[in-house]
Amino acid sequence: MTFVRLDRPEEEVADASVAPPGRPKGRLRRRPLGGPRWVGWAFVLPGLIGLAVFIVIPQVASLILGFSDSTLLGGTQFTGGENFARLLRDPQFINSVIVTSIFVLVYVPANIAISMAMAMWLKTRIAGRNWIRVIFLIPALSPMVANAAVFRLLFQQDGVVNQALAAIGLEPIPWLSDGNWALAVVIGVSVWQSFGYNMIVLGAGLDSISPDVIAASRIDGAGPIRRFVSITLPLVSPALFFTTVLTVIGAWQTFAQAYVITGGGPGNSTMTIMLYLYQTAFTNNQLGYASAIATVLFVIIAIFTLFQLWGQRKWVHYD
Amino acid sequence: MTDQKLQAPGLSWRRRGRAIGFAANTTAAWLVALVFSFPLIWTFFTALKPGNEVFGAKISFIGSEVLWSNFADAWTEVDFGRLLLNSLVVAAISTALTLVIATLTAFAFARLRFPGRSAIFLLFVITLTLPSEVAVVPLFLGFDQARLADTWFALIIPGLFGAFGAFLLRQFMLQIPGELEEAARLDGASTWRLLISVIVPLVRPALSVLAIFAFLGSWNSFLWPLIILNSSDKWTIPIGIAGFTTQTGTQWELLMAACMMTIAPVVVVVAIAQRQLVAAIGAGAFGGR
Repeated sequence: MTFVRLDRPEEEVADASVAPPGRPKGRLRRRPLGGPRWVGWAFVLPGLIGLAVFIVIPQVASLILGFSDSTLLGGTQFTGGENFARLLRDPQFINSVIVTSIFVLVYVPANIAISMAMAMWLKTRIAGRNWIRVIFLIPALSPMVANAAVFRLLFQQDGVVNQALAAIGLEPIPWLSDGNWALAVVIGVSVWQSFGYNMIVLGAGLDSISPDVIAASRIDGAGPIRRFVSITLPLVSPALFFTTVLTVIGAWQTFAQAYVITGGGPGNSTMTIMLYLYQTAFTNNQLGYASAIATVLFVIIAIFTLFQLWGQRKWVHYD
Repeated sequence: MTDQKLQAPGLSWRRRGRAIGFAANTTAAWLVALVFSFPLIWTFFTALKPGNEVFGAKISFIGSEVLWSNFADAWTEVDFGRLLLNSLVVAAISTALTLVIATLTAFAFARLRFPGRSAIFLLFVITLTLPSEVAVVPLFLGFDQARLADTWFALIIPGLFGAFGAFLLRQFMLQIPGELEEAARLDGASTWRLLISVIVPLVRPALSVLAIFAFLGSWNSFLWPLIILNSSDKWTIPIGIAGFTTQTGTQWELLMAACMMTIAPVVVVVAIAQRQLVAAIGAGAFGGR
């Protein structure tokens, strides 16, 4: 396995054959034959310029625009911290932070737990295991919009889920007209859609554990729980860390599910930060204010990411 | 002798127990997979129902008649043909350009040494953790100022520079033995020649996986097309479907037919390339979800 280490990119996990750059060692790192040193720049330049112009600069520009009252046609005036003061008093914004926090708090653990459990289950002997894996992967690679439209049908008041509840004698549930249930549906479709992907990343992590280690722990009398906590978890921790960091980043930016299934409703109960940002910018034409929302979202994500990078030394084991 | 007699039935019991365990485990796993895929199965059957039978008192998979014509109706009703063509063209262009850019970048990182390489590589890694969708406002504003909003150029170009593709290819290129490179150099091959004639053919499997991911990335993309495209003749499938769902009085059977036609190509691609996809995702080549 060869994960990019998010904290120390020069090293890749379990890829000892590659010496760190700057210290030519071994046959892979021998001095290149021919070609002046600027040649490398020529090759990296298209990607680097694109990365700078379309990824890095917009991030910086977003931070700057947050201090302006920019609109689409009305030009841009800098207004200092006014947008941020307004955000603190904006009940819609505060609501969207709460809604998204709940989403992240439920979605991420559920996603990781189910991915991990399924990955471990699929390690056992199952006929047609590869096809099951493919079935779980399909929604993750399909358009979120189509998946969301499907769930919107399933959870209609007279949809198939309530029909099934009626068939076993239960009352119908107002899935999309009750705020809490609507958020539950949005979380549900998100987990359904995405866990198959993380399941495969974690499955590859499990595959890299040597069977000898498991066998040895068995001989030493470790039970299944002990084996999971002391052997499996530490050995799969790089994959677990990697998926968690990127899943958290994605979760804070949830948009399409809420847009398609509920449009943020009922009563803003599924209004995620990204959806509120979108409406502020492109429905209400307040690009400056929307950029302030973006800045807060950026800071939230940065804090979560840095916190995880800092915390990984306590539980992630790279061998 | 007696030992053997005692052991033999024990062994066979154990074997039988194992076979039963295997069968039970397999059945359980397939049941879970079936429940998991129920939404898609239901979508398929809904797409074949008459419009007034989509909702009913009881669960029934098949309506009073099986209307394959719903697929044709979806084609005209949402102008699915146009959406499909747009999505295909945009995805094809995106894929081709992504492959070229990622190959050049990965080659520089993997096989060339130049001043500042580690710093640039670090920059690429940092962008992996940048929340890209957060920056849509200035991106939109930039294209709008350049009078490029509502063009396919603006739709396609920001998606071409994700760092994951370059990482995947770099990983494969690092594994190519240096001897091949030296041999090519000694034969007088230029750096460009080395890339085209030696490196690219050797990383073809990685290129095809990257192609699939670039294609699906474009195929599934929603937020950016929603923002940058205004005229409906440029819309891609997700925009069409989203617009369809927010109209009042949704014709569910047609919407589900459209969803089916959107997901079906994904199913085919995943089924065909499953081994390569699983390997690439497992390597963390495209992040987590």
